[in-house]
Amino acid sequence: MCKNQSGVLWLALAAIVAVFMFQPAATMAGEPFTFGLLLVGPHNDHGWSQAHFDAAKYVEKKLPGTKMIYIDKVNPADRPGVTIPQLVDDMVEKGAKLIIANSDDMKDGTREAAKMHPDVHFLHISGDDVLTGKAPKNMSNLMGRMEYGKMMAGFVAAMTTQTGKIGYLGPLINEETRRLSASCYLGARYAWEKVLHKKPEDLKFKVTWIGFWFNIPGVTADPTQVAQSFYDTGYDVVISGIDTTEAIVVAQQKKQAGKSVWAVPYDYVGACEGGGDTCLGVPYFNWAPGYISMIKASMNGTWTSKWEWLGPDWADINNADTSSIGFAPGAALSAAARKALDQFIADLGSGHVQLFKGPLNYQDGSVFLKDGEKATDQQIWYLKQLLQGMDGQSSAK
Amino acid sequence: MQIELKNIHKHYGPVRANDGVSLTIRPGTIHGVLGENGAGKSTLMKILTGFTRKTSGTTLIDGHALDIDSPAMAAQYKIGMLHQEPHDFPALSALDNFMIGRVSGISSHRKSHRSELISISTQLGFTLDPDAQVDRLTVGERQQLEIMRLLALNIRVLILDEPTTGISRTQKEILFASLKQLASDGKSVLLVSHKLEDVMALCDEVTVMRQGKVSGRMTAPFDVNQLLQMMFGTLPSPPVHQPAIPGKPILALKDITAPGGRAGLNNCNITIREGEIVGLAGLEGSGQGVFLRVAAGLTNPTRGQITFHDEPLNGSGYHDFKKRGGAFIPASRIEEGLIPGLTISEHFSLNEKQDRFFMTGKTALNQALKSISRFNIKGRPGMDAAALSGGNQQRLLLSLLPASPTVLLLENPTRGLDLGSGHWVWRHLQAQAASGSAIVFSSSELDEIMMVADRTIVFYNGAVVMDTPTHQADADTLGRAVAGGAVPQ
Amino acid sequence: MTIPGSHLSIWGRFRQMTVSLIAVFMFTTLVLYLAGAPPWPAYYHITRGALGSWIKFSHVIKAWIPLMLCSCGLLYTFRIGLWNIGVEGQVMIGAVLATAVLRTGVDDSAPMVSFFLAFPAAILGGSAWAIIAGWLKTRGEVHEIFAGLGMNFVAQGVILWLIFGPWKRPGVASMSGTALFPDYLWLSYVPGFRLSPVGLVMAIMALVATALMLRYTRIGLNLKAIGANARAAVLFGLRPGRYMLLAMAFGGGFAGLAGAVQVTGVYHRLIPAISSNYGYLALLVVMLANYNIWLVPPVALFFAGLNVGSIQLPIVLQVDSSLAGVIQGALVLTVLAVHGFREWRKIHRRRSTENMAAKEAPADV
Repeated sequence: MCKNQSGVLWLALAAIVAVFMFQPAATMAGEPFTFGLLLVGPHNDHGWSQAHFDAAKYVEKKLPGTKMIYIDKVNPADRPGVTIPQLVDDMVEKGAKLIIANSDDMKDGTREAAKMHPDVHFLHISGDDVLTGKAPKNMSNLMGRMEYGKMMAGFVAAMTTQTGKIGYLGPLINEETRRLSASCYLGARYAWEKVLHKKPEDLKFKVTWIGFWFNIPGVTADPTQVAQSFYDTGYDVVISGIDTTEAIVVAQQKKQAGKSVWAVPYDYVGACEGGGDTCLGVPYFNWAPGYISMIKASMNGTWTSKWEWLGPDWADINNADTSSIGFAPGAALSAAARKALDQFIADLGSGHVQLFKGPLNYQDGSVFLKDGEKATDQQIWYLKQLLQGMDGQSSAK
Repeated sequence: MQIELKNIHKHYGPVRANDGVSLTIRPGTIHGVLGENGAGKSTLMKILTGFTRKTSGTTLIDGHALDIDSPAMAAQYKIGMLHQEPHDFPALSALDNFMIGRVSGISSHRKSHRSELISISTQLGFTLDPDAQVDRLTVGERQQLEIMRLLALNIRVLILDEPTTGISRTQKEILFASLKQLASDGKSVLLVSHKLEDVMALCDEVTVMRQGKVSGRMTAPFDVNQLLQMMFGTLPSPPVHQPAIPGKPILALKDITAPGGRAGLNNCNITIREGEIVGLAGLEGSGQGVFLRVAAGLTNPTRGQITFHDEPLNGSGYHDFKKRGGAFIPASRIEEGLIPGLTISEHFSLNEKQDRFFMTGKTALNQALKSISRFNIKGRPGMDAAALSGGNQQRLLLSLLPASPTVLLLENPTRGLDLGSGHWVWRHLQAQAASGSAIVFSSSELDEIMMVADRTIVFYNGAVVMDTPTHQADADTLGRAVAGGAVPQ
Repeated sequence: MTIPGSHLSIWGRFRQMTVSLIAVFMFTTLVLYLAGAPPWPAYYHITRGALGSWIKFSHVIKAWIPLMLCSCGLLYTFRIGLWNIGVEGQVMIGAVLATAVLRTGVDDSAPMVSFFLAFPAAILGGSAWAIIAGWLKTRGEVHEIFAGLGMNFVAQGVILWLIFGPWKRPGVASMSGTALFPDYLWLSYVPGFRLSPVGLVMAIMALVATALMLRYTRIGLNLKAIGANARAAVLFGLRPGRYMLLAMAFGGGFAGLAGAVQVTGVYHRLIPAISSNYGYLALLVVMLANYNIWLVPPVALFFAGLNVGSIQLPIVLQVDSSLAGVIQGALVLTVLAVHGFREWRKIHRRRSTENMAAKEAPADV
């Protein structure tokens, strides 16, 4: 008898499947160009994911006839059991012709999905599958040259610190995060030695990694605690390398408790909001220029698989249509430091100041760049270790 | 309040639990419903209290036809039932239990409830400490508490299901006196029992049931033989005592001390011999239960030595005991002896040698069918063991025993059984003893011990206070020993 | 420990399940309504998201496979009356052992050897992990719920340590997971579908094997006997402690296999959330199915469908994406509430007789 009843249940299920499956697909003529956005964090995280989300919204406005669909919190902790190929299937079914996957964490899943959908274009942010030749033809990579933004972050931090101790709230350890924290360090060292003319040994730059791009309780180290321990041990400026806003939140709390502390958030142009007089400024991504060129190529049929590493528009690094990397000065930045920063930016733009230039040693003392040697893009992209002078792990224990 | 049941039928499939039963309970009387287990008494009470719906028939209350289809409705008509198993909360105090279900609002009026409890208690001649925790009370005291609770709810019909099981003689006397008082106050009392002596001592009127039907009615004074005739049709023959010649010692307990029950077991020395039937007497929880469990290996003694055929058996558990041909049957059959949810046939499967991975079920089925006919079990192989009546559960347990056990330990083997089933059990056990098995049983009925045991051991407060060949002891001496009046040997 | 509903007829169980489902449905409707999502479109999109195409349905089946494996394992432990809440950790350890064996197959001359060894290794690992919890129960008298929860934490710790430590990707320290396995170490896919037929066959075989095991073998009968009455089972010569370990071993084995399927068939690497909460979800499935093996597959399918289909809510309706999680939580609560209500009603029925009388008239004896 029991078998009969479950049989009825199965039958009912089969009927439902049939009803839903044989509905005509909801396609219409003149439909918009739909692109899908997979966000690793919440779309309103005031960080990495929001920068992408806002850029996509901007694209919708700038390119009439485009339509964005998105899913946020795409990570196994928030959505257990959900995989990238599965979400891509959903988006393709909704008509997406181009899929943007915004996390390093989605690298494998995006490649897998790209192979399953050869007629859909894929843009994997921050990845290098095109460089390494693993990417299929319908897949491209896009990244911003945040190294410049991070140099500015390090620069303002060193200009501001009173203790000479700068903390870097690092996410996980890989090539990207190594080169970004190293850029910060180079910017800070430049300000310390060349602008302020202080003794090199008085600058401390420490990196603490939490293990992922944002806090996953029980899995990563807690970024709030990491930031607190920085401030409690004399690091008066904390530069955030993670996708979320813990550094600026903790700084604000410490400030209210009477401490002289500052923070530099990351990723999102509006990340200083609510940071009050602790925010020195934020190096941010402007994904719109990169998105627009990729989406246009996809719409026009001129898509080619490429690896794009877009930098600031040195004429105006905060131009929403042309500059992929910007720096928004914060309320806590002193006038003097701001002036020095403007000069620094101008020098970077003109090539007068080149920070990835020898002599530079790796953290273990081995030579990264000989005297006068300038690093190639590939050398920077695949930075093997932190640099000499930085505290913190270069790779996992 | 007058209750009339007319032509009540209750059918479970082809089984007719009640087959045209009619019964009238007059106010101010004590009415007995007598019958052996499985006669349909419980079903009838369940119908009256709304726990079961009848298949057909009429219920009249004060002349009005009514369908009592839920316990709540029975309560509305002031019908209360004292169940065989106390429905109380052991962790709470007597007063708390008394108050449960009656307190509404925020204030619990503890004081007024306390005085109410004490006043009912004095009226009925009970002596119950309102603050005593219920799990420290005796079965009899718990019954008293439940009766008082029902009375406080203003019930007019009190139904008692086998109320004298597991209570002492004194408590029984107190109970009977209180019931007589309730009847004289105008309440109707319905006593469900299989014990002739209880019914005869208490009731004004008796309805006897057999196989789902009313087999007779009688008003006091009663005639025993006529009642027995109504109960059983033909009278069962009582077991004939054949004095055994005890053989070699099998199981010996030396200086055993063990925890459990009310008093535990202190410094106990007992040797059991082949072929003898040993009766363990004593008030419930005096140590006889612990003794049986220690002997079976189910409870580990804290001190002392157990030997089986001169081999030490300490702490090796029931499995070792079973391997040596021993077996234990607990008093609570369905709680501890049988497995509710498993069929009779599955019980035989469990009992088989565990040598094959897959069960064919065929051998077990054959075994079940054979045992059902040999042990006269009223049930089918596919029936849930929990659905059997108490007597049939005991028959099933006996049928599951090994063919020729070395030692049989039985806890209250005839508790809750009607006379016929009880006698049947003893004839079966006596046959086993005759073939050399040692049989050790506890019983709360001294009569039973004196009828069948070769040797009687009396426990009091965790110690053995008397160990004597039964034919050398009389009822008075044993009774005194049970109550704690014996001089330890 | 008795299992609620175990005394019921099949029809009674079916009815109870229907009641649970209706309660779940009403409660989720309320949640959706409160969250500002239109309930009917939400249900429509969830259903379409789960069953709208063969590809979607194959995603559902992909979630159904580990859910079924865990549920089958839980049937053994529930049968003997154990709450194997450690099933989650057993999935994780299965995944860990599968990964450990697969790692030896990377760049190996005979990768298939390690591929085929990964599954038995995962089964053994899950079993061993479960046996530890069972051993704590039978020897240490630690309740299996606490032992299981503890073991889940330890298993999660082991995974994190491995991912961040010994099994890190070269030059990388990230909680995102170990390096992707080459595709010759993946469970093969049918082109155009998203699920591996091997996994499906495993789930169905687990179902059939469990049904046979529980119905036709001595072990099945003995588990049932001990679960129904452990004290009486001792008198039948059974050793409850041993059978508890055996049941845990079976339960852990199936959970471990689910872990291996997650690694080889879904994520192709070890990630911190490798178990995807399927263990906890399976507990719910089995309870909702009222411990009846034939109701487990459709109930598991329902949950898998909800899991896959609810992703439509953020895509289409733009409702707060955490709503899917809220619905799942609502499901858990409703199922527990329905179970709790049934237990309460059983007790209440006994007491109702006296309660009613108390309300009718004040005591005046």
